[in-house]
Amino acid sequence: MTERQPLRCDVLVIGGGAAGVAAAAELALAGLSVELAEQRDALGGAYHRQPAGRPTAVHARGRRQWSRLVDAFARAGIAPRLRHVFLGLDSDGLAMLDDRAEGRVLVVRPRALVIAVGAIERVLPRPGWQLPGVMTAGGLQMILKEGGSPPPGDILIAGNGPLTIALAADLARLGHPPVALIEAGDPFARPAAALRLAAYPGLVAEAAGHLARVFASPTPWLRGERLTAIEPRNGRLAATIRDRRGATRTLAADLIALHDGIRPNDFGLPANEESDIVVVRAGDCREALGIRAAIADGRHAARQVIALLTQGPSIADDDAVLRQRRAQAVLGDLFRPIDGADPLAALPDETILCRCEGRTFSELRAMLAEGELSPREIRLNGRFGMGLCQGRFCADNVLHLIAAARPGDPAEPPMRLARDRWPARPVSIAALAADDDEQRES
Amino acid sequence: MDGRGGKSVVVVGAGIVGAASAYFLAQSGFRVRLIEAKAPAAAASGAADGAVSVASKRPGPMMTTALAGIALYRQLDEEGLFAGLFKQRPTVMVAEDESEVESLTGHADALAGEGMALRRIEGEALRRYLPDVSSGVRLAIEVGNEGHAIGYEIVRRLIAASGVAVERDTTVHGLVESASGRSVAAVATSRGRVEADHFVIAAGGGSADLIGLSGIVRPRKGQLAVTERSPTLNAALPGALMSCRYLLSKDAIAGAAGTAARRFGLVVDPLRTGQFLIGGTREETADTGNDLAAIRHMLASAVRLLPPLARLRVIRVFSGVRSATRDGLPIIGRMPGRDNLVVATGFEGDGICLGPLVGQAVGRIVAGVPSELDLRPFAPDRFGQRSLVA
Repeated sequence: MTERQPLRCDVLVIGGGAAGVAAAAELALAGLSVELAEQRDALGGAYHRQPAGRPTAVHARGRRQWSRLVDAFARAGIAPRLRHVFLGLDSDGLAMLDDRAEGRVLVVRPRALVIAVGAIERVLPRPGWQLPGVMTAGGLQMILKEGGSPPPGDILIAGNGPLTIALAADLARLGHPPVALIEAGDPFARPAAALRLAAYPGLVAEAAGHLARVFASPTPWLRGERLTAIEPRNGRLAATIRDRRGATRTLAADLIALHDGIRPNDFGLPANEESDIVVVRAGDCREALGIRAAIADGRHAARQVIALLTQGPSIADDDAVLRQRRAQAVLGDLFRPIDGADPLAALPDETILCRCEGRTFSELRAMLAEGELSPREIRLNGRFGMGLCQGRFCADNVLHLIAAARPGDPAEPPMRLARDRWPARPVSIAALAADDDEQRES
Repeated sequence: MDGRGGKSVVVVGAGIVGAASAYFLAQSGFRVRLIEAKAPAAAASGAADGAVSVASKRPGPMMTTALAGIALYRQLDEEGLFAGLFKQRPTVMVAEDESEVESLTGHADALAGEGMALRRIEGEALRRYLPDVSSGVRLAIEVGNEGHAIGYEIVRRLIAASGVAVERDTTVHGLVESASGRSVAAVATSRGRVEADHFVIAAGGGSADLIGLSGIVRPRKGQLAVTERSPTLNAALPGALMSCRYLLSKDAIAGAAGTAARRFGLVVDPLRTGQFLIGGTREETADTGNDLAAIRHMLASAVRLLPPLARLRVIRVFSGVRSATRDGLPIIGRMPGRDNLVVATGFEGDGICLGPLVGQAVGRIVAGVPSELDLRPFAPDRFGQRSLVA
């Protein structure tokens, strides 16, 4: 029989990406007992997870930093718990890890929790975005990194922000360039932002590397354009593309990857004030600042945990983090969409807003027309955020639409629509029930 | 409007009882103001198991009232008010060992004695009727004519149909006496005084302080879990599965250190969506958390009873804090010494089943129309000579 008592440790770190590994190594170095849970089967996070034998483009300095970090982590003697998905903290302060390999829930009682689960992709709804064959750019990147090869057929990438360029470059390097890369912004039309970017040579070098790869491929980089609708046609997908003058055309593809930026991931995760346990967030799940801030932010979180556990003085923001915050602001300006209109405002009524529950814009608009419904009522009665994804895909958009319908009201945090109760991810009943006392006795 | 001169009523609380009261009062021509501390169905009504059921009740006033409550659900469903919101389904009580069979048989006899429609299912017929339940189940009693409704959906429908605009985020601090001292002149709220001809307090746990019933109404928490969709398994279950261990009250585990033991009453309810609602606990606390020990125990019991549930995933857990009274009966009626004040609270786990019926009764009490229901067992003055209005 496995242990029935919760596993005790000083700090439980959730997430084996750069921020989590950095935090864990730093905490262990300070003499604390550390457990680290990673939901996938290897450390590395979204950035450093690599296909066997086919490394994707990671800048050399970043690669060196990561390997030094992994060495430090190994020296600290932490055995990462892989394929363990964090489910949340229960009301007794127990952290629950869904051990997917064993089919049971491992219970940990930590004094502190570092949450470093990375960012989440923002994907704007469009007619047809729920069709099979449409995925997120991050999802496609995960397929490339874990499988090492691209899916067959024509791939179209559309959306906004630098990640789409990195994905197109990866596909080109794997010999499978996308049919087109659609970008709502146009960095070439933002010279002021481009000049400010020069202060961040590392970012410039990485972007230039990706762009060179894309320009050397047959993939056109269509800037100032939006993918406005997707429909099935002849067994494939037909995407409507609108350019900056409003002219539309259709592109055919077998797979469409969408991406409209990233945001911190706080879905279903405990807030600090909720329990007696010290809870600190680190890396992109605290603030989406990218890989360059992640290690520094992880170490910063570790120092913060130590300060909180020992009632020491609070820790000032890290310089690297401040610098990347400025860099992200520049990137935001550089990629600001050419069409400044709210992309959600003009969507047709029948557009799906919540993919899990199949709820549409018109259903939300009808609820908003009823008057002052709270986000909770919209969630419960409209079923927005009630599906399997627990609001990851729709909470932001629903709240944006609520705010647009009620100018002057303070903006609501996404948790008012999604929620912060465990389980943060769907969890099998067999795993949850596995260690019940009664089960053991019978 | 029917000649009552449009008398005004303030209803405090927009849970299911307040919403139903507002609806029936508006229907009878009253000018209704519905004052709510947070938002409609923000407390127990929004976190309920939704059982519209009498199956677990013993003969007595609660059974009689619950039967009337179910009948009103059927009527409002047929009339269209609850269209699409009331899922009619039986409750299937199951027994496993000898003592459970004995206990369930006795319970079924009592229900049958009240004229309820029951079916006793055993042996081969039981396997055909409940193909997915554990082979340990030896007896099933199907209690017909019951159903399930989701509290927040009913509340929303009632409020919309009442035409009353809910005054949200408005806390009622107290009642203001009239000059005569025999009635209430106004409620003092966080947004000022609100005067009316009549007052209805349906504020769940918040009612106690307003009317001096602290100590009589106590919080009782129930934890529940919701699964992902499983249309096939859902469709194969004829109704809500209820373990009759509930009747024996023998299923209890210790609470966290220093807290009272909590009781479990296992119900697996197949929802309209294809999901399952699994509940629940009864715990003497007002905290709203969900703890692994309770959810785990509930799910383990559910899997033992319905093994294919093990394949499904839980997507959500939640808890509701209900208002329970010292004697287990709700408080419904005019407050002694206050001619124009009606209270309706203390429904514990029966608020969804009884809410519409109680709203209808409240409407009649306020209008001075004799109620078809015998509300005497629920009279507010039964707790003795306390000063009932603070």
